[in-house]
Parts: sequence; structure tokens; C-alpha cells
Amino acid sequence: MIELLNVPSLLTVQDSGRRGYRKLGVPVSGFMDDYSARIANYLVGNPGNAPLLEFLLAGPTLRFNASCVFAVAGDVEVRLNGTPVEPWMSHWAKRGDILEVGALKSGLYGYIAFAGGIKCEPLLGSCSAYPKAGLGRPLKAGDILNLGYAVLTRKDGRYLPPGLRPDYSAKEKTVRVVLGPNLDHFTGEGIGTFLSEAYTVTPESDRMGYRLDGKAIEHSEKGAGIVTDAIPTGSVQVPANGKPIVMLRDAQTTGGYAKIAVVATADLPIVAQSRPGERLRFEAVSVDEARELLIRREKTLRAIKGFLDGKMRAYRIRTGEEELIAFTKVERRD
Amino acid sequence: MQPTIKPAGDSALLVSFGEVIDEEVNARVHAIADAVERADFEWLVEAVPAYSTAYVFYDPIKASFSEVKAAIEPLLQVSPESFKGRLVEIPVVYGGQYGPDIGFVAKHNGLAVDDVIEIHSKPTYRVYFLGFLPGFAYLGGMDERIAVPRLEKPRLKVPAGSVGIAGKQTGIYPLESPGGWRLIGRTPLRLFNPGREPPTLLRPGDMVRFVPIDESEFLELYEAEWGGGR
Repeated sequence: MIELLNVPSLLTVQDSGRRGYRKLGVPVSGFMDDYSARIANYLVGNPGNAPLLEFLLAGPTLRFNASCVFAVAGDVEVRLNGTPVEPWMSHWAKRGDILEVGALKSGLYGYIAFAGGIKCEPLLGSCSAYPKAGLGRPLKAGDILNLGYAVLTRKDGRYLPPGLRPDYSAKEKTVRVVLGPNLDHFTGEGIGTFLSEAYTVTPESDRMGYRLDGKAIEHSEKGAGIVTDAIPTGSVQVPANGKPIVMLRDAQTTGGYAKIAVVATADLPIVAQSRPGERLRFEAVSVDEARELLIRREKTLRAIKGFLDGKMRAYRIRTGEEELIAFTKVERRD
Repeated sequence: MQPTIKPAGDSALLVSFGEVIDEEVNARVHAIADAVERADFEWLVEAVPAYSTAYVFYDPIKASFSEVKAAIEPLLQVSPESFKGRLVEIPVVYGGQYGPDIGFVAKHNGLAVDDVIEIHSKPTYRVYFLGFLPGFAYLGGMDERIAVPRLEKPRLKVPAGSVGIAGKQTGIYPLESPGGWRLIGRTPLRLFNPGREPPTLLRPGDMVRFVPIDESEFLELYEAEWGGGR
């Protein structure tokens, strides 16, 4: 059991989201950065989709009312009873210990995972908060969270080396997109603008979507409006003012603005972790290339899980400019 | 008419009959979405119908765009009759505190309030699809004799169950939310209930009829729907 003592920003319980309710108008929700969130879960020995805490910019202060293994994912200062402890590492906390998670130095969303996961009554198959529809609510000081059952032995001390952590510190990031499906609503010049200009994330950005500012994208004579249809996560809508909006986890399920592109699933965390003022550039890839990016990412995540479980070893290989990380299986000697 | 298939990112595919709002097209969309869901493909996440499109959401780890496309192509010829929505009757108390704008709707169209109620509760409306908010139905088939412009300034809080008119559309607010529709009444039924499975009263492709009720019936039904539960 943990008690929240101080909650300085948006703090919610999230898992991998709701599956199969879009047709009833219910958004998917779930981890904004599923890459970091899954690693946070792996660090404490959970399945990747276990419910955990997601915080925006600054983390909470909380007290453990029972022993627990936890891990924090994010570029952030973490203190346990006032003593700094490493993020991206699992630690053992005792009854009465106080955990303080500071403000992110880069990126926008951080994660706190607990061995056994946060116990919650799933609504529509998920613990992800979507307060607008009464599905969970933002957490506040005084809230008490129960944890699921976990065998705690040997789950602490798991550590993800810096080279394996996602790095969201660049002020300008490139995001791969699949063009379409409403390309006929844009001129060739408009599509060219979208792929050549940098777009700045504005403060009007939240779990629903990020509004971007930059050179206006030109619509064709068909205009910005479409006959309303579904919105895949990562859709880049362009309303009449020509400024793109990237639709994210809590986006409404249908909408009437033309979609110039959809962000590759593997790159959704890059968008989610971009702060207001930071810039995004869009690079077109084919649907098969986007799929390949995701398959590669899944392989990396599986290797990271194996590494944290002690079943894989990681090696850093430098080849000229490029740095690669290779994993090999640990030989078991029985 | 033959629909087109396009990728919509790496996890969704768009089946489109073009940009039209048409009952026959929508019936085909529902039949296709239903056929895709019933085929029980292991890569399927869900099929989401709208006016003239069905988005097929899939797991790209399990299948590529071309595999998904090839699998659903034979289903595009499915007969619109293969899918039939239910007829759902929705009790509505019209006017008074429940429908504060009904007088405006009547006046704007040169009608009596009773005419508005009769015209609104007469047709069978088609649920083209759900979206915008959980459980919100895009209904087709409203009589244009009661069409009205939206409020100039949206209300900050519209109670769940409010029945409104905006332009040539009518709809029901499933949740308490801000809104600019002219409110003519309210249903005691819960359009969205996260504790129920499925969580929405209406489903894509259903038919809807509004049944006028009086305030005492409203209060009785309201207590049964909302009282006690979450």
C-alpha cells in the first residue's frame, strides 16, 4: 500500500489502454510513452502492461505503508528517505519509507512502477484513467493505492545502463510518419511544407493531442473538413488554419479534419515526450517501413526484458559514427 | 460501388466509399465492419464504422498491411442486409427544466411546442456511428422543420441525457459536458455506463425512436438507472 503525500502535477494510473471500444466512442488511453512505461514495469519484474503511475513533468512524493520494490523511468532525480537513488533501477522500499520524485530534466512523462502493479478494478478491460468519461480520475494528495501481489525477492537492483535508456533531450526530433489517408485534401506544396518544415509543440497540448505551430500547410480545393471518420492514434490532422495537431492516447475516436499522415507507432513516444517549445520534423516512410520499425522496437524491448531478467547480456559496439547495442543469451550452467 | 482501401498509419486500414452521408452507403459500412469483426482474425483489434468509412485496426506485429488488405477484400462484397441493428426506444421528457430551448426551437420554426415534440418523436433515427464522446450517437433522419442554429455561446455544463438539436442534427449528450446544442428534453437512460458491458446504450447501426414521457415517469426511470449505481 502506498499513500500519496504530494502531487505537484497530473498523476494518473495507466496501463496499455482500452482495446475494442473505439466503435462505441471510448478512447484508447494508456501509456503516453509505452516504451519507457514498459521498461519501468520490466525493472520491477512485472509484465509490460501492468498498471503504474504516469506523471507529467514532476513526480509525486509518496509513503510506502508496506515493503515494496519500485522503479522510476525518466530523466529525473529520485530520493528515498532523502538519499538520492538511481532512476531506471529497481529499489527495495520498507514500510514508512518516503519516495520523492523530482521534475523531469528532459521529456514530458515519467513512470513509477511497483512490483505486482497497482491494484485496480479494470473498467472496460483497462485501469487507464480517462476522467472525462468517469473512467478513473487524476490522483491527488491523500490518495491510497493498493499494490498487487508480487514475489519481492531478487527484483531490486535491476539496472538499465544509460546507453539503453530512451533519450528525449534533443530540442528538435524527427518523427517517422505514414502519409495519408486524406492526402487528396492537401496540395503537393502543402505536403512538401509538412515534410520540410520544423513544427513547434505549443502549450495547448495534453494527453488528447499536441497542437503544433509552424508554416501553414496548404489544403487542396477539398478543404480541411472531411466527412467525419475514425482517428487512429498518431493521426496528424490539419484544420483550416494549416497548423497540424497530432492526436494521441486520449483523442476522441472520430473527427472531421483531414489527416495528412499518421505517426509510426514506434515513434509515438517521441511525440509524447516533446515539450512545448521543442520542435518536430516529419519524415515519410512506407507502411511496411513503419511496421519494420515497430518489429525492431519490440525485439529491442524483449532483449531489454531478457537483460533485466538476467537472461541476456548487453554489449555496446562502436562502428565508426554509429553505436549499436547487441544482446546475447547468458549461458546457463546447471 | 467498390470501396477503396488505404493505409492509415501502420496499425489501421481505411475502407472508404468516398466522402458521403448516405443511408445505403452507411448500411454497407456496418455490414463490412460486422463481417470483419465476425471473421475473428487473430490480428484484428476492432473495426470502427463511420458515415462512409470503416477503419480496421490491427496489430502490425501479427500482420502486414497487405496481409490485412488481402484478408478483408473478400468481405467487402457482403450484403448490407447481413447486419441488422436493434430498434432502441428512448424515453424523453420534453421541455421545462429538461429542455430549456424547446420554446426557441418552436418560435424559430414558427411552430407550437407540441408540434416540435411530435415532429421530433415521430421518425426512426439511424445510428450512423458513435464518436466524439463515449456513447455519443451520430443520428440521421431528423425532420428539417425543427432545425435550429447552435447556441452562440455554449453552455458550460449540459447534463448527461440531454437531447439537443444543432443545425439539421439531433443527438443526446451521453456525459455531462459543455455544449452548444439547443436542448429540447432529457432522457433518464444512461447512454454511457462504464460499469456495464457493453458500456453504451446505443451501438453503431441501431435504430432509435424517442418516446415522450412525463416528469413522474422520468423521475422513476431516472432513479432506476442512476440511483445507487456509480
